[in-house]
Amino acid sequence: MLEASELMVFYENMLALNNVTIRCGEQRIVGVFGANSAGKSTLMYALSGILLDIQKKEVMAGGERITIAGSIRFMDRDIMDLKPSRRAKMGIVLCPERRRIFNESTVLENLKIGGYLASATQKKDTLDYIFTIFPALAKLRNRLGGFLSGGEQQMLAIGRALMAQPKILLLDEPLMGLSPLMQTILMRATLEIRRQRKIAIIVTEQYARPVMPIVDYAFILENGSAVLEGTRKALMDNPDVKAAYFGV
Amino acid sequence: MTTDTAQRRKERIDRGIKVRSDGIYALLSWRELAYLSVPRLVLILGILALPLLMPGMYWQRVISIVCIYAFLAMSFDFLAHYVGLVSLGGAFFVGTGGYIAALLNTTFGLPPLVTIPAALILGAAVCTLLLIPCLPLRGVYFAIVTLMYPLFMARLIEALDIFGGTDGILGIDSFTNPWVEQYFVVVMVLVLLFGLRRLVNTDLGLVLRAVKDNDQAVRASGMNVTRYKALAVFIAAGMGCLSGACLVHTYMWAGISQFALDFSVLPIAATVIGGSGTLVGPVLGCLILVPASELLRDFGTLRIVFYSLILVTFIVFRSEGLMVYGQRKYHQFQRWTEI
Repeated sequence: MLEASELMVFYENMLALNNVTIRCGEQRIVGVFGANSAGKSTLMYALSGILLDIQKKEVMAGGERITIAGSIRFMDRDIMDLKPSRRAKMGIVLCPERRRIFNESTVLENLKIGGYLASATQKKDTLDYIFTIFPALAKLRNRLGGFLSGGEQQMLAIGRALMAQPKILLLDEPLMGLSPLMQTILMRATLEIRRQRKIAIIVTEQYARPVMPIVDYAFILENGSAVLEGTRKALMDNPDVKAAYFGV
Repeated sequence: MTTDTAQRRKERIDRGIKVRSDGIYALLSWRELAYLSVPRLVLILGILALPLLMPGMYWQRVISIVCIYAFLAMSFDFLAHYVGLVSLGGAFFVGTGGYIAALLNTTFGLPPLVTIPAALILGAAVCTLLLIPCLPLRGVYFAIVTLMYPLFMARLIEALDIFGGTDGILGIDSFTNPWVEQYFVVVMVLVLLFGLRRLVNTDLGLVLRAVKDNDQAVRASGMNVTRYKALAVFIAAGMGCLSGACLVHTYMWAGISQFALDFSVLPIAATVIGGSGTLVGPVLGCLILVPASELLRDFGTLRIVFYSLILVTFIVFRSEGLMVYGQRKYHQFQRWTEI
């Protein structure tokens, strides 16, 4: 469904992604694990096209020169040069790192903004769906986004991304700074979303333990290169992975 | 690397001399000494030679005005990019400094070489005192408040009819001789420019930049943010007052138009064109904008149209600013590499 091959991203002369090839099939959950600065967020920015936007801003401000090479294909179409807004229209929706909630809008408004691309019936349908899968949000629908707790904000961010009717959802570090209980709730919800909405999901995370049980396939990034990949079972049995990403 | 796609990218590499000369100990040859000193010498000698190169009194006067605006532009750049206070109060500083110099000169008969330093210190103190209540403000709020100050002062003088009211103060001494006037402002530009560059690299400058980046963290480190902001405003206001004082002695007249918004806006435009945060950039910006504005006088009313077009072109196509662009070209070279 989504396939990025030989993706290379340079920030000035620094290599942020080195020849990374990753795939995600229909209705699959794919995990991308790696430490800080492994290139997880850069990968997400490249897939969602935000990187093109950052690139342009840097050119205008006379900052770093960002070079992107390789190819990204989505549903048999080359989307390498497509703007982020066009990619979102095609169904690649990013739920950004640090959530990026609209602090001064209410929960309901946040969700409605996310539904810009959806039709009225889709919007209504998705809204109901979000409130059933995240019941906590239903009670808070008129509260300002900035007054939510971290976990609630993450729910809201995922909900907002769902409102855009994704075919593939990119979750960038959805568990950052959350309690183990909240992590479990969110991961269970992610699994439900895949089953009920029939979409593909790519999750990045530093600490693999809470995410590993729900992924079908996973990639491990180190210093910008994909050093290891495999099905959940293959990776869980790998002693190096166990030591590095499970803290065993 | 095993890519078969023959793709290229342009890479930027610091020049070898730049890498070595970043530590002063590593200067090895005359070539490297020249690499560091030539741009500075060109600037110093170029600015010093400017009054000599100008044909006639009119253009020499323009150079004085350029330098006077350069003080303001540097003070704006310093406040905005090293302390994080975007000040639209350039006109307030100019007006305060100008009126103080004018009053000292006409009432007590002090010569310009006394009134200018006095206006600098007194004016900076007055401006800082008046601005202290606004210092906790940040961003656009500080800009709005500082925009109100010059308007407030101008109306106050007009309504109360003090300091000559709308007529202004006439009969102020000029500099003893045009060359003194020229070289006083030109040398002051260089002194302030290199002084500020030193200042922003001292520990004090470090704290000021930290205030810009994250004032809460500075407060948490046990420093009084408002005090540091007041100090920075004092420095910037001093430079603004200096330009005001020079201005009244150049024009031999002080009036409400010294509080005009030109003095707030032109320095900002100069900073944007020259490259913000470089301190040299604003001087360069003034060197372009002020003479451009004079040259465009021939077009009459269309002058503002052309002036705006120049500004728009710069901001759209080189929003980084001339100096930032120039420094990058000087310190780095580019080449194509295979990925």
